Amino acid sequence: MPVLEILKEAALGSASSIKSIMVIVIPFMVFVEIIKDLNLLDRASGAMAPILRVLGISKGGAIPLMAGLVFGLSYGAGLIIQAAREGRMTPRDLTLVNVFLVICHSLFEDTLIFVALGAVGWIIVVVRLVLAIVITYALARYLTIREKQAGPVQTAGSLPSN
Amino acid sequence: MVNAQTVVRGIKNGLSVTWELGKVMVPIYFVITFLKYTPVLPWIARQFAPVMQLMGLPGEASLALVFGFVMNIYASIGVIASLDMTVRQVTIIASVLLICHSLPVETAISKKTGVRVMPLLALRLGLGLIVGILLNLVI
Repeated sequence: MPVLEILKEAALGSASSIKSIMVIVIPFMVFVEIIKDLNLLDRASGAMAPILRVLGISKGGAIPLMAGLVFGLSYGAGLIIQAAREGRMTPRDLTLVNVFLVICHSLFEDTLIFVALGAVGWIIVVVRLVLAIVITYALARYLTIREKQAGPVQTAGSLPSN
Repeated sequence: MVNAQTVVRGIKNGLSVTWELGKVMVPIYFVITFLKYTPVLPWIARQFAPVMQLMGLPGEASLALVFGFVMNIYASIGVIASLDMTVRQVTIIASVLLICHSLPVETAISKKTGVRVMPLLALRLGLGLIVGILLNLVI
């Protein structure tokens, strides 16, 4: 196959992929800005707080988790650092929110880019969400059990000083 | 408050994402398209075919996984777009990559929040590959 033909194939192919991605990503980014300006995320985080408590995450962790879920890991991490500095997140929250977010972040934008390439979006979204929820829940249970076991040991250790 | 500024900012962000993506994706798309007509890509594909088969993916797609793990998903999109992959294959590889990508950069981000990152790294790699294998069995 002559080089010119290959160049043409690459140019046309990459241009058409970029076009299909643009058509999805630009409207989505407009949508994201509207959500931000309406403060919908703060309200959604409030509504999600009781659900997140089931995952063992306190209210302070709800906003960073929702932000990371929708806007991406670096955005979420920024809010985590801020919340931790202000003492609104416990070490336990930190661990759980991080575990959730590494599995599942930037849920819509990244999925849509793959949808532009032909992937079935709902399968990707369901797989990531379910895994993030199940693993975070399991870890929360494990941490609770470990805290309970560690409890008596600390009490025993503090006995001689009494 | 939502106004014209909101829409303008959205369009700008959308264009900036497209630009960031294009910068990485287009060169990789060109390289892979060239390699398709050399013995190099078929050779790489043969080496990885047995592993990739577990996830129902062609051997060539191994490059998409490696690029995605060490660089970012834009790089793997350059590979995926240049290969002829089925809807099923793109769905599987997208699930693997979205769980596990940009490991050096994102691990550094996680580290800044003050958690131990090695377990997170292991979780993402392990989970990504397990998801690929399971999806191949389920869908």
